[in-house]
Amino acid sequence: MSEEVQRYGGGGGGVGALSLDLLGQVLDRVREPRDRKACRLVSRAFARAEAAHRRALRVLRREPLPRLLRTFPALERLDLSACASLDDASLAAALAGADLAGIRRVCLARANGVGWRGLDALVAACPKLEAVDLSHCVGAGDREVAAVAAATGLRELSLEKCLGVTDMGLAKVVVGCPKLEKLSLKWCREISDIGIDLLSKKCPELRSLDISYLKVGNESLRSISSLEKLEELAMVCCSCIDDDGLELLSKGSNSLQSVDVSRSDHVTSQGLASLIDGHNFLQKLNAADCLHEMGQRFLTNLAKLKETLTVLRLDGLEVSASVLQAIGEGCNNLVEISLSKCNGVTDEGISSLVARCSHLRVIDLTCCHLLTDNALDSIAENCKMVECLRLESCSSISEKGLEQIAICCPNLKEIDLTDCRVNDAALQHLAKCSELLILKLGLCSSVSDKGLAFISSNCGKLIELDLYRCTSVTNDALAALANGCKKIKMLNLCYCNKITDSGLGHLGSLEELTNLELRCLVRITGIGISSVAIGCKNLIELDLKRCYSIDDAGLWALARYALNLRQLTISYCQVTGLGLCHLLSSLRCLQDVKMVHLSWVSIEGFEMALRAACGRLKKLKMLSGLKSVLSPELLQLLQAFGCRIRWVNKPLVYKD
Amino acid sequence: MEGGLRRSSETSCKALPSMSSNSSMINDPDQQGGRFNSMDQSCFARPGQSFPAFPPLFGVQSSSLYLPDEKIGNQFEPNSSLNNPTVDWDPQTMLSNLSFLEQKIKQVKDIVQSMSSRESQVVGGCSEVQAKQQLVTADLTCIIIQLISTAGSLLPSMKNPLLSSNPAIRHLSNTLGSPMGFGFSCNQQPNTNDEVTIPEISKTPDYEELMNSLNTTTQGESDELMKCQNPCGGEGSEPIPMEDHDVKESDDGGEGENLPPGSYVVLQLDKEEILAPHTHFCLICGKGFKRDANLRMHMRGHGDEYKTPAALAKPSKDSSSEPAPVTRYSCPYVGCKRNKEHKKFQPLKTILCVKNHYKRSHCDKSYTCSRCNTKKFSVIADLKTHEKHCGRDKWLCSCGTTFSRKDKLFGHVALFQGHTPALPMDDVKVTRASEQPQDSEAMNMVGSIGYNFPGSSSDDIPNLDMKMADDTRYFSSLSFDPCFGGLDDFTRPGFDISENPFSFMPSGSCSFGPQNGDS
Repeated sequence: MSEEVQRYGGGGGGVGALSLDLLGQVLDRVREPRDRKACRLVSRAFARAEAAHRRALRVLRREPLPRLLRTFPALERLDLSACASLDDASLAAALAGADLAGIRRVCLARANGVGWRGLDALVAACPKLEAVDLSHCVGAGDREVAAVAAATGLRELSLEKCLGVTDMGLAKVVVGCPKLEKLSLKWCREISDIGIDLLSKKCPELRSLDISYLKVGNESLRSISSLEKLEELAMVCCSCIDDDGLELLSKGSNSLQSVDVSRSDHVTSQGLASLIDGHNFLQKLNAADCLHEMGQRFLTNLAKLKETLTVLRLDGLEVSASVLQAIGEGCNNLVEISLSKCNGVTDEGISSLVARCSHLRVIDLTCCHLLTDNALDSIAENCKMVECLRLESCSSISEKGLEQIAICCPNLKEIDLTDCRVNDAALQHLAKCSELLILKLGLCSSVSDKGLAFISSNCGKLIELDLYRCTSVTNDALAALANGCKKIKMLNLCYCNKITDSGLGHLGSLEELTNLELRCLVRITGIGISSVAIGCKNLIELDLKRCYSIDDAGLWALARYALNLRQLTISYCQVTGLGLCHLLSSLRCLQDVKMVHLSWVSIEGFEMALRAACGRLKKLKMLSGLKSVLSPELLQLLQAFGCRIRWVNKPLVYKD
Repeated sequence: MEGGLRRSSETSCKALPSMSSNSSMINDPDQQGGRFNSMDQSCFARPGQSFPAFPPLFGVQSSSLYLPDEKIGNQFEPNSSLNNPTVDWDPQTMLSNLSFLEQKIKQVKDIVQSMSSRESQVVGGCSEVQAKQQLVTADLTCIIIQLISTAGSLLPSMKNPLLSSNPAIRHLSNTLGSPMGFGFSCNQQPNTNDEVTIPEISKTPDYEELMNSLNTTTQGESDELMKCQNPCGGEGSEPIPMEDHDVKESDDGGEGENLPPGSYVVLQLDKEEILAPHTHFCLICGKGFKRDANLRMHMRGHGDEYKTPAALAKPSKDSSSEPAPVTRYSCPYVGCKRNKEHKKFQPLKTILCVKNHYKRSHCDKSYTCSRCNTKKFSVIADLKTHEKHCGRDKWLCSCGTTFSRKDKLFGHVALFQGHTPALPMDDVKVTRASEQPQDSEAMNMVGSIGYNFPGSSSDDIPNLDMKMADDTRYFSSLSFDPCFGGLDDFTRPGFDISENPFSFMPSGSCSFGPQNGDS
């Protein structure tokens, strides 16, 4: 499609003759952003059409924001989460000149620089605002939330990890936004039962609520139980909630479909059983890491959810084969089951489970050490639809079991074989799964170039590949990958210490690459980094920790080419203050830098470099010794811009 | 009016002994004499008691009296130095006071004589005459003050001389001072003043007469002045409007009680009695007590005669033969609804009610809460009640209601549609928004943008917040006041400029101020 469009666009007149509306329709069908960009660049008509039709915008830098907002008047979704050094002033200035009447969703996740003034301006400028995401704005407090509360039509709000939000802020929101349907209060530790109580009284439309990590107790569940439309409730790690609370919830009038009580220590299977008593239409139940033993009543009650239950997570539970069999018999419609770190999961148990659950698509068997190829055989036999299989640390499985999976499960999209000691033969079988998107082979030291060559030749859709400590992997594997798996976005090559600059040269052709981890690749130098930086335009995260041979040349290349780089780890690299300074002053998107033990960088180098990037940095990791020698003004300034510094104190040890 | 007063004084004369618990002493003139001869404190002076029976006692405030004497030559505000209501009686000082008065009168006489002689001789020397006239009025005022305050301690209603004397002085000084303010349009003025005042002074030996004249002839005006002339000090230079007389009536007692007007005896205590810290005084050493029982216990220390069971027993009521009449109390403050002269007079039930009512309604609120430094009370119990609830945890709703507990606020918010908890500094925003939504919004935005550009730090943000909020408050309180009536300062009790550090910011510091005010 995109090529066709480009051809017409290149022709000029043909495209120009079409109406903007039509062109907009065409553009809507161009999925890949890169292709849309190509269209835009090649034809003015397309550029105009996109300007008139564009609905979503993700801005990466502060500077073009005003122009972009003016250019795209039809925007509905605005994502500013990656917009570097965005602050109140720039946001308000950008909003002032634009017509944002159509904007419905705004994402400001991790936009630490934006405070209540910016939000005030935003809410005032966007009258139709329906969804706001403030997650991980750790500095946000009641004032910020109160500013958001002025958006009366708000339906979705995420306040995840807005650490300063208290009951007062929540009250502002629930009074200001009565139409709220989805609310996440995860990690807002200041919110208490009375805040939740007011929420449940004022927001009857609530469908989804996340109170994970809150210090709320059973009283909150009593209030929540009156929310008639509530379908989804997450209460991860709510240690003040126990079975009594679940009992209250079960007597409520919710239409609960999904409950997450994972890591809530005081919940037992008894409480879950009573919860199921009250809610017979549960579809998703996440009881990961909270149960210690399977109660009989819970098990029998699970059977009541026979028709509806699709997702069941029982991580960390002591299960026997009989329990798995009972689950299998009780819940035929399971689509996803997680038995991660469950003791007692055996081949027998898995086969009796999957025998009845033929719809399973996601099976998590992480750390079920007892499993062998037999379990894989039964999965392959019964669950043809399986898409995701997590087998980390199932060290007894071999290529034979994976062969069965590969043959029987053509839809397999994700497989985690970390620490499974699989070999090239296993990869040869897996290569049959042409839909594979995610492949994790960490710690499989016997995987070599040969096996990866099979994968490269067949799994062209692969977007994530983890080769952590696959020490047999060399440059040739990278050459094959660069040839076959052009879509790779995330690549982990940590400790694959046979890789050299020429290998990185191959990576340069992976244009989609966003995350690249090259930890402890002691042979790579600035030359290799240059080719990566030049080739991988979309690089967002780069880990160069302990790449001892990397010097300023690598940083210069990054500073020159890796313009989208957001996270960078250069700890232990042999870079100097000059290189660091240049890097930090050049990269406009850089927000997170880890730079521990940069022994060649002087204090002045740190000072200058940090001053250069002051307004953009949001996260830093440095040696605690620097805390006292860096100027206090600088530290204050960094803090003022919402930058969090993690001071570490560890000895300088070189390891290979 | 006269009759009413008399009746009340009579009834109080009847009723008071039963309350004052020293009835036996009052009933026994010998003991009275003995008491005064032993130079006890004169604390039981009551209206209606026959004064000739008293030796010339002077509740002296010698120390405080000499102070105004020195200053009186050039100032007409003697009340500020008369604030010490210590009742310390000493014949020596009394004597010296009297001789001082003598001297003073002689001095004035001399001046006036010289003036009259000079008037016949020379017409010129206007300034000299003026100065002398000034001197005369000053001296006269001084004399009057001295006289009244010296005599005051003897007067039934003048135990605290400052209270009743001040209005009179005030009145006099007003009449004396006014012509001087107009640059002596009339040379006869001092003489007429003499005519006005001297007859009053001439009556001074007859204290009751003076009291009556003060209470009746000048009552309206003096009361009016008294209102601002607060006994606890602090000069209110302008009389407060009268209309708030009926405002504070709650929990003073007598509420909803519908006794027919003739069915009870009305007692009216004097303000001095109301304000006296103790009601029971030891006749020997003068120590005051709140309870008679405590006084009786105390008396045991003064000799064996007080240790008899009869002395220690609760004094039997005089009126044991006849049932005690239903007594209700009247507030001495004329114009008050609790004052028996009021058309819709509502009596107060107990003395405690009187005390609390009088302090709450007609006295300065001299107890300031040490936590919030805003709330002031005249009754210390009120302050203590307030202090229990006053503190950081003030939970405020957007409607202005405050709550001591957060859950109470949230319950309130849950109950009422549209109410929302007010964040600190948020309340102002709300009022401002309702006043001028457009302007203030623009102002807010522009202000914030402008402020934020030069790399604002998060350390600053709390300060900025405060500043913004206070800015707006500053607009609303100061800029609007000139437009919406200057009385605002009086009607708004909580408004205290010193609490608002940013209100001192010059209006020029924000260019929006004047515009806002104009619009």
